[in-house]
Amino acid sequence: MALNMLDLDLVINALPLAILAATPLLLAVQGELVVQRSGIINLGIEGMMLVAAMTAVLAAQLTNNVALGFLGGIAGALLVAIVFGFFVIALKADQIVTGTAINLLAVGATSFVYRELQRGEIFVQSVPRIGTDVVVPLAWIVFPIVLAIVLWNTSFGLRLRACGENPDAIAPHVGRHRAAALAIEALLAGTAGAYLTLALSSGFAENMTAGRGFIALSIVIFGRWKLKGAVLGTAIFGLAAALQYALQAASRGVPYHLLLAVPYIVTLLILCGIAGKVRAPESLGR
Amino acid sequence: MSTGRGPVVRPAGRRPPINAASGGRRLAGRTAAASAALLATILLLALSGAAFGHSPRELLTILITGSVGSTFALQGTVLKSVPLLLTGLSVVIAFRAGVWNIGGEGQFIVGALAALLASRFGLVPSLLAAMLAGAAWASIASLMRLWRNAPEVLTTILLNFIAIHLLGWCVNGPLRERTAMYPQTDVALATLPRLGGLHAGILLAVFASVGAWWLLYRTNEGLRLRATGFNSSAAKWAGVNVRAQLARAMAISGAAAGLAGGIELLGVTNRLFERFASGYGYSGIAVALLAQLHPLATIGSAFFFGALVTGAGELQRTANISSAVATLGQAVVILVLIGYEYGFEYARSRSRH
Repeated sequence: MALNMLDLDLVINALPLAILAATPLLLAVQGELVVQRSGIINLGIEGMMLVAAMTAVLAAQLTNNVALGFLGGIAGALLVAIVFGFFVIALKADQIVTGTAINLLAVGATSFVYRELQRGEIFVQSVPRIGTDVVVPLAWIVFPIVLAIVLWNTSFGLRLRACGENPDAIAPHVGRHRAAALAIEALLAGTAGAYLTLALSSGFAENMTAGRGFIALSIVIFGRWKLKGAVLGTAIFGLAAALQYALQAASRGVPYHLLLAVPYIVTLLILCGIAGKVRAPESLGR
Repeated sequence: MSTGRGPVVRPAGRRPPINAASGGRRLAGRTAAASAALLATILLLALSGAAFGHSPRELLTILITGSVGSTFALQGTVLKSVPLLLTGLSVVIAFRAGVWNIGGEGQFIVGALAALLASRFGLVPSLLAAMLAGAAWASIASLMRLWRNAPEVLTTILLNFIAIHLLGWCVNGPLRERTAMYPQTDVALATLPRLGGLHAGILLAVFASVGAWWLLYRTNEGLRLRATGFNSSAAKWAGVNVRAQLARAMAISGAAAGLAGGIELLGVTNRLFERFASGYGYSGIAVALLAQLHPLATIGSAFFFGALVTGAGELQRTANISSAVATLGQAVVILVLIGYEYGFEYARSRSRH
């Protein structure tokens, strides 16, 4: 599948779609960046987005209001953050095992509730869709700038990063700052989940996050825990996705199922392509 | 984890996962933790059923009779326990070595694919191919770790998605059945010998768990493996080649998950289709943790989750309750176990100050 066989037009036409499709990912990347800066690896971000995707649909359908739908998504993500935070901050439980359990919990709970509620009218009706898309400029411009200022130009941000580098130095404040970081992540991942259901697709489907949380974690590493890197990494990923859509549209003999694997292969390459020395926050995962 | 004997020096690199190092705790404590997890799971399932207007008593009755209530149900449970036992062992070995292999699902799939392709050469080559493929798929992650320092917790998960789509391509494309009726492969050319309503894979799985116990506790390899997981810098100072050790642990772990896929194909489904793996890989984590990362306890743990999956299938058929409650149950088991483990540690650290 040589690139010259492909019309450049197709790729260019696919770009706006790729930016839209990468928007929830970018939100998740930024959320995960903030918690990892505070020293927590949240593998459960996948589950967080999945729960948010469901609660967003529920809230949007019950109130017939998209904004409230987004709030519902954020509330769902916060709920997951509270469970995760209880285990990893209060009990100091292993973060990867807890994250894995959170993901199983999210898959099980959303699939269970989905089936239960399908019998009573909800999820069968059409979902109110987003009108003017404010999320895209928020995700690509506003949030990165605001988060960069908060993390690197405020004393709160300094303390939050200290929790990730040397928690002993600010021992009594670690729990509070990590909880705050988790809340910020829930806000972003909740918006991401809601965007998936209320803007990108027309409702909830089981397992619809399809690994976006894990891709987000990989991009955080690729971007070296910096917001510039996060935006750049997501953009590269978005470009690869655009290429994939273009290939799909051109259907030049590349089997559909292999194209579906492309985002994960790209992410693997991204993870392996971290050139030079990468320095993670010193106390990440502890 | 800390056993409460003063300050703990964290290993330089990775830290051992849950329970991998709690040699100080006695059998009673472990059994109590496991029982608490089982009780909490059953309670939560009944409660969530009740929340949506199902009678908890009816729900539990279906769950129990549907999993162990008749010979037929029991057969179903044992059949489901076999892949769970092997993916559970896969996780036991990886976590004991301190390697985060979350890639059981992908290794399961490529194992089954390899078993199908090799089935024309007979049963034994087919099973060997499954193990080799699982080991190779897992080794992609360990190579990426050793060469590029890419965290295996992410690469193994990403490899799961790639394996799922690889399978999707195979059953829709090159390996699609000759009649091309459904997106599935032709029947494998080898099958495991039948044992009544069961198949010989059960013996293989039990044999594998005894083998894993032997490997971990009776061989030098197992000692080095556990030492690496317990404290990799100490193991390094003691002369263990930690990098090679991690790679070997990952390969063994992948082989177990691959074998699970091969056995499931040759003993149960005989064909491959898109939803072939249906979460066996991820469930292995719950199986391993409930067994407190002990290979022999994994047999009982796999049976419990096999019963849960079978009972949940019955719930979906008769009461229209999503079989995803089995996944919910796995999550609750893990959360209760870590709550128990770290809750005690938390209480101890409080009482010391």
